[in-house]
Amino acid sequence: MGKYLIRRFIQLVVVSFVISVLVFMLVHLLPGDPTTQILGANDTAANRAILLKQLGLNLPLWHQYTIWLNAAFHGNLGTSYLNHESVTHILATGAPVSIELIVISQVIAFAVAIPLALVVSRKPNRWLDNVSTTSTFGLLALPPFVVAPILVAVFAVGLGWFPATGYTPFTQAPLTNIHEMILPSVAITAGSIAVYFRLLRSDLISTLQQDFITMARSKGLSNVRIMWRHAFRPSSFSMLAAAGINIGSLIAGTFVVELLFAMPGLGYALVGAVEQRDYLVVQGLSLVIAIAFVIIQFIIDFIFTIVDPRVVRE
Amino acid sequence: MSEKNEFSRRTFIAKGAVAGGAVVLAGAAGSALAGCSSSTTSSSTTAAGASSKPGYGVGTPVRGGSLTIGLVAEIDGFYPPNNHWDTNGYLYAQCLYDPLMAIAADGSIQPYLAASCTPNSTYDTYTMTLRPNVKFHDGSPLTSQVVVNNYTALKASLLTGQALTQVASVTATDAMTVVFKLVAPNPGFTAGLATQVGYMVGQAMIDQVNAKVALPTPVGTGPFVYQNWQPNNHFTCTRNPNYWRQGLPYLDQITLKPIPDTIQREATLKTGGVDMIGSTDPNTIHRFQGQSGYQVVDSANDIIGEPSMAFVMLNTVVAPTNDLSVRQALAMAIDQSTIQKIFGGGFTKPVNGLYLEGSPYYTADTGYPAYNPAEAKKLVAAYTAKHGSAPSLQLLTITDPRLAQVVQIIQQMWQQVGIDVTVAQVEQADIINDFIAGKFQAATSYQFGAVDPDINYVWWSTTTVGPVGSIALNFPRNSDPVIEQALLTGRHTTDQATRVQAYQTVNKQLCKDLPYLWLEQYIFSEVATSNVQNFANPTLPNGMAGWGFDEGIFSPTAIWLSK
Repeated sequence: MGKYLIRRFIQLVVVSFVISVLVFMLVHLLPGDPTTQILGANDTAANRAILLKQLGLNLPLWHQYTIWLNAAFHGNLGTSYLNHESVTHILATGAPVSIELIVISQVIAFAVAIPLALVVSRKPNRWLDNVSTTSTFGLLALPPFVVAPILVAVFAVGLGWFPATGYTPFTQAPLTNIHEMILPSVAITAGSIAVYFRLLRSDLISTLQQDFITMARSKGLSNVRIMWRHAFRPSSFSMLAAAGINIGSLIAGTFVVELLFAMPGLGYALVGAVEQRDYLVVQGLSLVIAIAFVIIQFIIDFIFTIVDPRVVRE
Repeated sequence: MSEKNEFSRRTFIAKGAVAGGAVVLAGAAGSALAGCSSSTTSSSTTAAGASSKPGYGVGTPVRGGSLTIGLVAEIDGFYPPNNHWDTNGYLYAQCLYDPLMAIAADGSIQPYLAASCTPNSTYDTYTMTLRPNVKFHDGSPLTSQVVVNNYTALKASLLTGQALTQVASVTATDAMTVVFKLVAPNPGFTAGLATQVGYMVGQAMIDQVNAKVALPTPVGTGPFVYQNWQPNNHFTCTRNPNYWRQGLPYLDQITLKPIPDTIQREATLKTGGVDMIGSTDPNTIHRFQGQSGYQVVDSANDIIGEPSMAFVMLNTVVAPTNDLSVRQALAMAIDQSTIQKIFGGGFTKPVNGLYLEGSPYYTADTGYPAYNPAEAKKLVAAYTAKHGSAPSLQLLTITDPRLAQVVQIIQQMWQQVGIDVTVAQVEQADIINDFIAGKFQAATSYQFGAVDPDINYVWWSTTTVGPVGSIALNFPRNSDPVIEQALLTGRHTTDQATRVQAYQTVNKQLCKDLPYLWLEQYIFSEVATSNVQNFANPTLPNGMAGWGFDEGIFSPTAIWLSK
């Protein structure tokens, strides 16, 4: 397992380096530059030249890259051109929001998808399975920007159960925080429920036809024990892989929900920075998000080795 | 039409003004040169239990309470020389700072932090006496040296410096007197002191910026003191117990929350998450008008200076829009009333130029082409016969769902008269680049909100025209010497009648040249719960009524909450 993980770690480092180059280059290939945003209609050639020098944008790209990467290694991802807020500060304030949103949404997704899949896979193609399969298919077609306004209209404006927008840090007021988090979490969890349910259901149905399950049944083990101890683990492989990709995508993909619910998360900050051509913020956030994605995949790989040790041997 | 910020009345400084004299209006001598006749802060609805006039207080002011306001967007900071203030930015500023001058309800410019500001006989030197006993939040006094230091920073800034190119020097002649020397006479200089470059910050804040502090703590003389700011989440300020205006403010605390999505912002108001919301979507007015428990104030029919106008801008130096007959055909093909019905929420009226009826600059007959698709077809046919093909152009807009609908309607209208039209959507930053470089044929925009017409000099002057590819603030590249002469006349004259005539000439000439096809007024609104009192009825330090609702900007100083 050690060799396997070391190999994965080396891949992680290489991928992270490539990501850093791509993030740096891609941002510089975008049309426009930050001077346009900062200067606005004062955008004269003279002013632009002064500002480019002030921001170091007149240096060769490789030089800008080395400066940026060196600073990043020292925990300095730069400062917003526009409001002079440090990228690390943006990360420090935005990451807890996005992470909490993702964690709660995934907890809800697993809490709904796993039991449901375990129940329906025992008796596929019955009414409950058909209803569940059809419903989750529908959930897949509902993006968060559709779900969110419906949830707000019904549960905030209509029933008054939850606030329509807002975010209070958990450390300040835990109950308020959870109360505010429920609607946005549900808004982004719909797709996850559908994916996890469908993958797990499919794999469970397949697993339940395996000989070792027949053997377990013949030994008189209870259905609950068979499902949880024998069928679930080998069937969760696809779901785990999907969860890795899904969670990684959500790190930046929560922006729609963050925007709609006025939550100061990473996605919200990233989209705002892209719109404003705030290069260093885009670079810093993209780098951290991309590397977080890679690290999550690494963790998922590690979990695979526990769930199924054959992965290491293969 | 879009909530994304373009060039609104107040974003002018932020987006920038290049030419000298960009920040101007009525002379400090009084309202003789004021660019308008009266304030028209609109009162759209009166809900049960609310005041008789929305935004005006009823009964005795009550001290205390906390007010939460939902904003359209977040700002990028609090330091006037560095940060881009739009309507939202000014609300933060109104909490923390005070301007040297302010706009009265009658459109005149009145002293605020200044006790007086007097021009010399040639209007190229202004002597300002500061109000005594004004202290910043850190206890330091407002002195002439602090004002000079503010202007040193403002003039050195790439953002605000261009707006102050008309200012040759700012000097302190004694502890409370500041002298502004201008490079040329300008009877309307003081209007600029009511904008971003007129809000004074304390020396402590300037020192923080000079020491490269990333996010300097705001230090102002304003009615509220900064407490905390989490960008994209909330900003909180509390009552300034030592505010120089006796008895004010009434509120203990104000919290500002950016909620970018209009529907979510409205939902938050309905669910009690905020007490007030701002909007630039006319449908917000429609949705809250007459609803019990709410009061709505909007900028419809606002006749102080120039209101913001939504329009299609045409490039006058690239084909086919460089042909006046094509521009005329495009103008005649647009049915303004249809666009207003669909997108104006029923609150906009037909517009024939820069001004609304009631403004002293308004003229009923500007010469702007009326909706006439038959005549448009004839013009297109003539163009086609001359060039061998029908005019073909691209209509540019930003990535905004409402604007996408607008351009689709316009596209249909133009296609019906035989013009080949494609539509393209780009990001806000990119479209401004295209405007500056002249890389467009037709594009949607909104602009020209200004307390005085002269503030818009840079956008129409022949001195700011440049070839395509070069930087030019006259985006349509409409080089008209008649307009230039009228603009200069309006700027330099001290005679109000001459001034009015000059800006009427500008208006008519723009309708003749057709670099802009007018669509509708760009309306700002504020919706508040009925217990929020007096948010659109400020009083200036000299006792005059202030301009209550300046295109989305209002003063929090005299707001109170009824029980």
